Amino acid sequence: MIDSFPYEEWNLDEIAGFWTFGPGNSTGTYVLTVLGLLVFVAALVGFFVLESRKLNAQAALLRAAGGFPAPGGVPPGPGPSQTPLAGPTTDPGD
Amino acid sequence: MTAPWAWVLAQAPPVEDQLTLDSQVLAEQFYFYTVVVMWLIHVGFMAYEAGAARRKNIMSTAMKNILTIAVVTPSFYYFGWYIYGCFQHGGPAQGHEGPIPELEGFNFCGATAPWSDAMGPNLQDHISAVFFLAFLLFSWTTGSIMSGAVIERIRLSAYLFLTTLLGSAVWIMDAAWGWSAGGWLTTRFGFHDAIASAVVHGVAGAFALGVLLNLGPRIGKYDMAGRARTFRGHNQHLTLMGLMLIFTGFYGFYAACLVIQSTIQPGWLNIYLSPTTLGAIAFVITVGFAGGFTGGWFASKGDPFWTLSAGLAGVVSVSAGADVYHPSLAYLLAISGGMLAVWSGVWIERKLRVDDAVGAVAVHGVAGFYGIFLVGIFAGGFPTGFNNVESSFGGQLMGAMTFFPLAFLPGFLASWALKKLNLLRVPPEVELEGLDMAEFQQDFFPEFERVPETVVLPDGEEVESAGVLLEGYSQLDGRERVGAERRPG
Repeated sequence: MIDSFPYEEWNLDEIAGFWTFGPGNSTGTYVLTVLGLLVFVAALVGFFVLESRKLNAQAALLRAAGGFPAPGGVPPGPGPSQTPLAGPTTDPGD
Repeated sequence: MTAPWAWVLAQAPPVEDQLTLDSQVLAEQFYFYTVVVMWLIHVGFMAYEAGAARRKNIMSTAMKNILTIAVVTPSFYYFGWYIYGCFQHGGPAQGHEGPIPELEGFNFCGATAPWSDAMGPNLQDHISAVFFLAFLLFSWTTGSIMSGAVIERIRLSAYLFLTTLLGSAVWIMDAAWGWSAGGWLTTRFGFHDAIASAVVHGVAGAFALGVLLNLGPRIGKYDMAGRARTFRGHNQHLTLMGLMLIFTGFYGFYAACLVIQSTIQPGWLNIYLSPTTLGAIAFVITVGFAGGFTGGWFASKGDPFWTLSAGLAGVVSVSAGADVYHPSLAYLLAISGGMLAVWSGVWIERKLRVDDAVGAVAVHGVAGFYGIFLVGIFAGGFPTGFNNVESSFGGQLMGAMTFFPLAFLPGFLASWALKKLNLLRVPPEVELEGLDMAEFQQDFFPEFERVPETVVLPDGEEVESAGVLLEGYSQLDGRERVGAERRPG
């Protein structure tokens, strides 16, 4: 065996314990698990909060700029009856 | 002369111990590389969906696929894997009992808890970590299947919540019940779904259907008469390349569904610990693609998108019996699966009026459930699971009747709750402008000139979409706008 590690002094189970601040099913691993889970939940909530801010701000900006019809109103711009740009597609339902 | 060799031999561990360690390390390497190959599935889903999105929604679409990894990975670590290990009898196991009585001393349930010795650096365990990772990649896949269906109008945050639910709770519960040697569907009914036709694909499709019913179609998708219009993706070549990457990754997916550990059982085993070979499933996946492409080509009259999507559907439809099917049988069944996906996809869009942007419900959901019924018809009588219960049409039906509500109801109820909280869908103004501008404040092809966005009308004519979209906007129910108007700025 290559003499690169004090195997006789370290039980192989203890190596895992060293890296995780305690062996499995110990206070160290419980604390790490709970901390990670809390951070994950916080991140999930954070995704909602951050995105809502962005979307609401942009929607307000667009409404303020105008160009959107009121509910039931007549849409501005060219409608679906305009000149076609291309012929029928290869849509499977054709 | 012999002294140096005697010294060397004296240092060597016993041969049996060395062989055991080598076998475990080989299995560890095998699963590690399946994980590497399976990453291509997610590269593919990202390219596939981003290509199918209009130019204004490219990055918001791609970010969904990337952030799937950010939420499913920790949630699967903290509770998803535990569900698989401890819920195989239906409810949670008592006292962390292992589900494999033949392996004395192996506590699988306990080993799946995030605080266990198996879930970290453990020099005594070469298998648990890589086995967890293979299942994690399956979990990402379920999320990515739903992801394509909902593009261009769902909120990123809502998608991430839903994909966490699907990837780390819903699918893994059905896997515990019907995709393990000790699951109750397996041990009591002989349910057989070797490479996860329904367990992964069918369930993800059913969950996506539940979400789509609440999410609603993209603005302008249907005209006043309820006829479907078609939005052209900005880059169909990227979409097709994405599908080809998914296909490549599927070889890793297939391989990872097998069990190889010669110190426990010689040879390859399927997920139910019944014998098969890697070559057998490689045969089936390859002819499955061939059959799916063929069926899709003819059913869609040569449509490129549906031809490649049907290739995937062909494989999905033969995956459940991939461990036992003859290649020629798989080819024929895959043709039928590919055709079924095309026809059902068109029906879902036009008759059911559900806007599934990439046909995920048809390709994964319909083909997935079709696949488990095929096992009942063509592979009935094959012993499955610890109790060696023979697979049968009735057992497969029991699996379908369990899995569909298990997947559909959480998807529908969770998306319904998000809708009520006005957290499911982006504001309509943002949807019309494109999600990339609101989410990232930029166009992701800045060097290319913008051309007018187009839409294909039900009669096949392609026109500029501005008028169609604004007409759709003006038809929105006032309640659909109220969320954005209630919180200006």
